[in-house]
Amino acid sequence: MTHWLALSLKGLRRDLRAGDVRALFVALALAVAATTMIGFFLDRLDRGLTRQAGQLTGGDIKLEQGEPFDDALRASLREAGLTLSDQVDMVSMVSRSDAFQLASLKVVDAAYPLYGEVRVDRGDGVEALARGPEPGGVWIAPRLAQLLDVTLGETVRVGASELAVTGLIEREPDQSAGFSAFSPRLMMRRTDLEATGLVRPGSRIEYELLAKGPPGAVAAVSATLERLAAQGVRVVDVRDDRPQLGSALERADKYLSLAGLAAVLLAGVAVAMATRRYVDRHLDTAALLRCFGASQRKLATLFAWQLLWLALAASVAGALLGMAGQAALLALLSRFLPLELPPPGVLPLLLGVLTALAVLVGFAGPTLLRLKRVSALKVLRRELDPLPAAAWLVVAVAGLVFGALLWLYSGDPALAATLLVGGLVALALLWGLGWLLLGLMLRAVKAFGGGERQGGWVRAVRLGGSQLARRRRASLGQLLAFAVTFAAMAIITLVRGDLLTTWQTQLPADTPNFFAINIQPAEREGFVELLDAVADTRTALYPMVRGRITAIDGRSPEAAVPEDSRGDNALRRELNLTWQTEVPEGNRVVAGEWFAADAGQAGGDGPVPISLESGLAARLGVGLGDTLSFTIGSERVTGRITSLRDLDWDSFRPNFYVIFPPGVLERYGHSYLTAFHLDAAAHGDVLARLVRAYPGVSLLNVDAILGRVRELLDQVTRAVELVLAFVLLAGVSVLYAALTASHAQRAHESGLLRVFGAGGRLISRVQGVEFALLGLTSGLMAALLTELAAFGLYHWLALPPRLHGLLWLVLPLGGALLIGAIGHGLSRGVRRQAPVTSLGLLGEG
Amino acid sequence: MSNSRARESAVEESSILQARGLTKQVVSGERNLTILDDLDLDVSRGESVAILGSSGAGKSTLLGLLAGLDTPSGGELTLFGASLGALDEDGRAALRAGRVGFVFQNFQLLPTLTALENVLLPLELVPGRDHPQRAREWLARVGLGERLDHLPKQLSGGEQQRVAVARAFVTEPELVFADEPTGNLDRDTGGAIIDLLFALNREAGTTLVLVTHDPHLARRCDRCLRLDAGRLIALRPDEVQA
Repeated sequence: MTHWLALSLKGLRRDLRAGDVRALFVALALAVAATTMIGFFLDRLDRGLTRQAGQLTGGDIKLEQGEPFDDALRASLREAGLTLSDQVDMVSMVSRSDAFQLASLKVVDAAYPLYGEVRVDRGDGVEALARGPEPGGVWIAPRLAQLLDVTLGETVRVGASELAVTGLIEREPDQSAGFSAFSPRLMMRRTDLEATGLVRPGSRIEYELLAKGPPGAVAAVSATLERLAAQGVRVVDVRDDRPQLGSALERADKYLSLAGLAAVLLAGVAVAMATRRYVDRHLDTAALLRCFGASQRKLATLFAWQLLWLALAASVAGALLGMAGQAALLALLSRFLPLELPPPGVLPLLLGVLTALAVLVGFAGPTLLRLKRVSALKVLRRELDPLPAAAWLVVAVAGLVFGALLWLYSGDPALAATLLVGGLVALALLWGLGWLLLGLMLRAVKAFGGGERQGGWVRAVRLGGSQLARRRRASLGQLLAFAVTFAAMAIITLVRGDLLTTWQTQLPADTPNFFAINIQPAEREGFVELLDAVADTRTALYPMVRGRITAIDGRSPEAAVPEDSRGDNALRRELNLTWQTEVPEGNRVVAGEWFAADAGQAGGDGPVPISLESGLAARLGVGLGDTLSFTIGSERVTGRITSLRDLDWDSFRPNFYVIFPPGVLERYGHSYLTAFHLDAAAHGDVLARLVRAYPGVSLLNVDAILGRVRELLDQVTRAVELVLAFVLLAGVSVLYAALTASHAQRAHESGLLRVFGAGGRLISRVQGVEFALLGLTSGLMAALLTELAAFGLYHWLALPPRLHGLLWLVLPLGGALLIGAIGHGLSRGVRRQAPVTSLGLLGEG
Repeated sequence: MSNSRARESAVEESSILQARGLTKQVVSGERNLTILDDLDLDVSRGESVAILGSSGAGKSTLLGLLAGLDTPSGGELTLFGASLGALDEDGRAALRAGRVGFVFQNFQLLPTLTALENVLLPLELVPGRDHPQRAREWLARVGLGERLDHLPKQLSGGEQQRVAVARAFVTEPELVFADEPTGNLDRDTGGAIIDLLFALNREAGTTLVLVTHDPHLARRCDRCLRLDAGRLIALRPDEVQA
């Protein structure tokens, strides 16, 4: 056995002199590089996102309810291996001498924060601390300090306690409070809470239990979490509740997987082409070895080992390249990803090697079997080649393996099957189309210059075109390979372009970075006037009434909604209700009809039409025709759902779950809300003016979140570009493999042409024409394939579908130029050979 | 199997290769074509036998059958005392390993292997440590000691065939088959190759079965046979002519 191992290794080393083995090596290495790079990267991105979500939430799990959590629950969570932190949230009045201000209290324990650090100024500039304030002290938002006119070291009154201001909070790690925390922050210690006397029966207090732990520990308590959710506890599990800005990342994630698969497919095509030449070349070796006494089994062993070594060597090279690639991706994304990254896992590496082997077996296997079947008699009679592997068998095995890889990577068997079947149908279609095109070409070149024009180029076109068209079977293989290559390259490029456009339009430069809330009706006109003078852009002014859902179809909400929605935030808090005449910008009605502008003025006691956000409708298990009752103040309003809306939560605009027609909510106490964009340079000045003129209006700055999202999109964009470069590289490897594969045959042809008296110039032109026609035809086929594939893919990536007219021009012309130039260039050596050599190259002596 | 043991066993049997009633038919179009028809042949250890025949007479077919590269339609073949009919293709290959050498008309050198590696190829099928040394020695004996690392395309036709001769003898085989060994060479070069082939054959005491259409070449063998209408006819030396 060791003898055969050594022999196979020796054989491989010698084989590296041959172009086809190098092409095989390059193709396999690229497949591994692409999959490991993307595998490593997605693995880390995934972990990074979960961690970031944990940071925004404050832990891996967050439980919320209106009363303290019992110790039994704590004990069971700790037992599962989770670290706990208790937190209490409430809104309370905070005062200093005669200044009073409503503040959002966050009462933390010694374990706070479970993730991240608080950026706080304790008098020596901003520092990052992994803890909350000391007992007896409070940290407050600068705005609260401004409103109460208090400085560091002075005290504020919280309930019955006087507490010292020991820090000004610049940023909290867990900013998930989002837009509902309108009052400025005050952070204090749990041990000081009792003395304040704020915890009394009836006070609105939210108890939170945060837990952090390894994924196994989190998974271990999932049954407990389900039970708690059913009891009405709000449960946030970061693995399920990703950050709101998921859609862009989700697309990027899908795009990267897609690009990785495209690279694998291209590598597979390259492997298939290189293998044909490899096998053709090794038929002689195999026959000789049979002659010298090697058994079929030994031959199979020898070549299997040889290819296994090749796959392993390519895997190592590919893995190194992939590691470098993922390091580059990480460098691009370093500011987004958490600092402490776990070392790269082994899984992506194993996946890479597995991919190399799968690609080798799938795309080369059937062809390689010929080597085993070779007869020793071939040394005497050259024509005794074993039959080439049936085309359907090659395609079927490659299709099956690629389908399995699709499944492995997408984790979605239905998707994999659809893609596979679609791909095979498209391939059959292309096969037929290619057959037709070649037939047409034969006729066209015959007709071309059939008259007296017999100049050099005319003859070259006739010769080159008919050579290509007559070798129909061989040409079809190349046509399909090039068409698939061009299509894969085109799709990845197209999707990238549309992805980037979507991202850029998602957050234009004037995306609102401030929210203004609590604008009183009397202040409305003045505020808008001032705002229009200072802000770059603003959204419409939305009236806002706070109301709680108290009945669904006449039943209590807890009884009406699905079990796991009982703890839903929308049932436990007051919702922001608004009224509008038109569908607000960024909203799309997806079911039912938008109500008429006067629908609310009809009078009567029946329910009024309302429009509900589709996600909430799904969570609550309600649909068109159902009624929702809201308690606003002490009154009750009932609405019947007449339309469902999708809205873009990533848009940084005011968004509402529930919209009423005008004429219903005006009689309740309401305020207005708007979002606007302020230039960074103007911030301080303008804000001071706004705050002075309208002290009652709360301003919320979302620059930090916005900046983070922008940065993320920016970096993901660069990651996408890097991956695109990889796919293009894989495409070039196909060209290399294909041209290497047909090298010998071209040498033979040009040798023959020379023997028949063709000059170097004519041969050069004939080859140029042949390659260009090959490129042109495959470009045409690729354009068709791209349109077909893009149609399906855009749906999958949630991008608007469109036709790509330019494609039909760029692909054929680009294909003709690219293949014409590269093929012609690579064949230079062939043309320079004397006919004796080029004919002898085939060993036909 | 080691060569000394092979020789010991061969002493008991003077015939190294034996064919009885050998028939080969192929289907050509719709009719059966008989290439070899009830043919008999005995080759004794150490002798050199030439099989003459015109182009298309079936010389190569016969050689393929004798070497066990192909199977006959009928008749019995015995090589090294073993009946080939009882062996499958792998069994026949195992019988050849290390005991049969080949020289082909078109050299059959692998283009991506150097001269040395080409000679090493048959040696490498069996484990052993001194292979490269042996291959170098044989290349030196055919006069190519200085051109070990040349690829076939860097060698002339005559040099390529010398590499092939070295490869045929490097395993110290008991039997060498040569198929038109000078067919692709000019007269002078071919003559030199033949001198080399016979010299090596004499030194090693190898049995040689040579297939050719060249009477000059055939005359140098101990015995000449003509393949005619599917049968072998023994020729007297004076009957062998161009």
